[in-house]
Amino acid sequence: MIIEDVIDFLRKVPPFQFLDDSTLKDITGSISMEFYPKGTFIQTQGGPADYLYIIKKGEVKVSIKNENEDVFLDYRGEGDLIGYLLIFGGTKARANVTAIDDTICYLIKRETIQNLLYLNPAVREFFNKSFLTRYLDKTFKEIKNKNLVYSGGDKILFTMPVGELASKGVISASHNISIQEAAEIMANYRISSLILVDEAGVPSGIITDRDLRDKVVSKGKDCKHPVKDIMSVPHIRSDVKEYCFEAILKMVKHNVHHLLVMKDDKLQGVLTNHDLMLIQGTSPLSIVKDIESQSTVGALVPVSRKINNIVGLLLNEGAKASSITRIISEINDRLVRKIIELAEDRFGEPPLPFCWIVFGSEGRKEQTFKTDQDNALIYHDPTDPEMEKAAQEYFRDFTFFVRDGLLKCGFPPCPADFMATNPMWRQPLHVWRKYFTNWISTPTSEAVLNTVTFFDFRAVYGETRLLDWLKDFTLSMAKDSKIFLGYIANLAIKNRPPIGFLKTFVVEKSGEHKDKLNMKIKGLAPLVDIMRLFALEKGIKETSTIERIQVLRDKHTIVKEYADELIHAFEFIMMIRIQLQFEQIKESKEINNFINPNNLSNLEKRIAKETFQLISKIQDLIIERYKAMIW
Amino acid sequence: MRDFFKLKKQEPSFIDKNLPFTDIQYTVLDTELTGLNEKKDSILSIGAVRMAGTRIELGNSFHQLVKPDTQFKPDSVVVHEITPSDVLKKPTIDVILSEFLQFCGSDILVGHCLSIDMSFINREMKRIYRNTIQNPLIDTYKVYEWLRKKVPTKTCFSSSPQDSSLYEIAKCFSIAVRGAHNALIDAFITAQLLQRFMPVLIDIGITTIGDLLKIGHPLEGGDTHKISSEISNF
Repeated sequence: MIIEDVIDFLRKVPPFQFLDDSTLKDITGSISMEFYPKGTFIQTQGGPADYLYIIKKGEVKVSIKNENEDVFLDYRGEGDLIGYLLIFGGTKARANVTAIDDTICYLIKRETIQNLLYLNPAVREFFNKSFLTRYLDKTFKEIKNKNLVYSGGDKILFTMPVGELASKGVISASHNISIQEAAEIMANYRISSLILVDEAGVPSGIITDRDLRDKVVSKGKDCKHPVKDIMSVPHIRSDVKEYCFEAILKMVKHNVHHLLVMKDDKLQGVLTNHDLMLIQGTSPLSIVKDIESQSTVGALVPVSRKINNIVGLLLNEGAKASSITRIISEINDRLVRKIIELAEDRFGEPPLPFCWIVFGSEGRKEQTFKTDQDNALIYHDPTDPEMEKAAQEYFRDFTFFVRDGLLKCGFPPCPADFMATNPMWRQPLHVWRKYFTNWISTPTSEAVLNTVTFFDFRAVYGETRLLDWLKDFTLSMAKDSKIFLGYIANLAIKNRPPIGFLKTFVVEKSGEHKDKLNMKIKGLAPLVDIMRLFALEKGIKETSTIERIQVLRDKHTIVKEYADELIHAFEFIMMIRIQLQFEQIKESKEINNFINPNNLSNLEKRIAKETFQLISKIQDLIIERYKAMIW
Repeated sequence: MRDFFKLKKQEPSFIDKNLPFTDIQYTVLDTELTGLNEKKDSILSIGAVRMAGTRIELGNSFHQLVKPDTQFKPDSVVVHEITPSDVLKKPTIDVILSEFLQFCGSDILVGHCLSIDMSFINREMKRIYRNTIQNPLIDTYKVYEWLRKKVPTKTCFSSSPQDSSLYEIAKCFSIAVRGAHNALIDAFITAQLLQRFMPVLIDIGITTIGDLLKIGHPLEGGDTHKISSEISNF
């Protein structure tokens, strides 16, 4: 009975929570319990370290004596471990551990833990590696288990490689045969698509039932023509090892319904959206299809409402935060594009080529739930005043139409009016260049705000070259402007994450969100700001935080060292936030970013702590680099 | 009979009274009884947990239900929630007691109001082995009473529990007391009580097992004895 209580407790404590019941029973057989009154030592530096301590109740302080100076290391509380360094050898305690409250610990003998380590890879991994980098998956699993809102529970999308789902033994034919011959093969084998290969046997195209309908029958085309004339090239490929989720993303992105599944450059099979639908039920793909097939803004409204459900579906599928945001951003992009197309239908051909850009979280592809509209419009430099006037008039009506369309689909306007409807943010290229030149050369606080807002920009529709030109210009300028970078550096260190305080987190001291932690301001924003700074330092174009980390890992000394940790930290914070907001939506509450640290599991708390420590460490490195410019 | 001889060898005199009480091994026990009448009632279960110094060895415990040799009384069933059908197929006290003696070995026995438990255990001891338990004994209630007089200002001792029951005292020390009530859980709570007393004793200079045995003597009561540290202070 007393052992059962211990087992129940350990079920909530990593790494013991990953053990099966019989292993847990074995361990608890030799477990003992000790009481430490407030103010007493649990371990003394240099003293014996024969046990791993698990704090059952109370709170302890870990510190190291260094040349007569007591260096504070950490506070630990219920569910935390003391003395796990003994696993790495050595028999002497490396730190002083003092009970700062009456504390009860469970003690496990060193040999028991070492045995466990030897027999159990999960435990080995836990002790060997940083919690942050290795334990994220487990945290996600935990988060997900808390949130099994949608039925089913298969995680197929994220666990099944494309190769397993794709139909194998694909029928293919030479691309030199006629349309009729191709149709005959399709009819004989009862297939809806046929892969065509070139002389070397390499896939060169695909025809589908739809092609026969759209390009042959309805056009009255002669079916003696070579199939090459109507086949679709280029087709989108997917590797057998890719997860189905990647395949969906490709289909959504390229608006295709078939993917060629390749293994070592050879065709292995075909994956259709039908295959994916079968394993899923509701799918991101079906929403995209819905969006594409609407012809009025009014008809888009009900479709757009489904997007939030996709988040729940993906959470349930076990998606990583970055996967969720990528899919959501992709779907939102499609919605924006559709509305712009409708605007073009309505106002006719634009007088000048233009580019619709988005920034903020939308620009970074880090959208979760409906966020404020952050958009702008760049158009080609007009050659004469008359054309300028025409463009101004056209794009005014045009942007208002798009804004209202987005509004109806649930995207609220930007409170700071960073929208294309604002004449300031609806300008020809040369004006935009002037904006950035001014902001970078005279970085007032408003200018810095503008630059950080706009620097995560991305083209969603139109003449993307316009944005590329602007980007090349501004990035090369920013890279060499030390003073400007200094301003951005100050921004990146402004929000210090909450660490090193009792009960692990610094929380809001008063107001409606008392004792809660603002994940966006204290966690997400510093990471985003840090990576933007690094991106600007190196002049790279990527806008999403994850992409920035990945590109910079070969280019930036700090990122090189911490890339994996940074990615995991980012994924973690995003996940906690998505989880929180999804709950809020489910309960029809207003969305915010405040988490209650007490609602986090021990594992989550630990990862949160490591995440914040990492951010803080990087901020210290930034301060070191920009020393003279930090105020 | 083997256990009996084993027991004989371990006279209390074998314990060096000057040893720190934190270096001693204890068996903390509790019994459930059919009632409190020594003549008519009998032991229903024995629970015990080992303590090595200040450390409770959670996996090193003993808990057995006994087939009673006296009649069940309905009113006591309410207390211990052991029903006749629970114990009908259990071993007799003869078997359980032998197992229990083996578990205790030469440990110091600890209990809350231990004299009650001991009177029932010793009654069976006399019947089976013609001897009584020779292990040294400590009553946590006596230790509690002694500390209350000695350090009345200390928070846990200043608050007066509703009664002297184990649970009421445990609550004063914020030891978790759950709804369930059996010999093992009560032994565990008693062990935690002793665990809380130990640092307090050390704080006021009481460190040897000899002193602890005097303070916690079940029958005489600790407060009537002068303990060595007090004597040396005079």
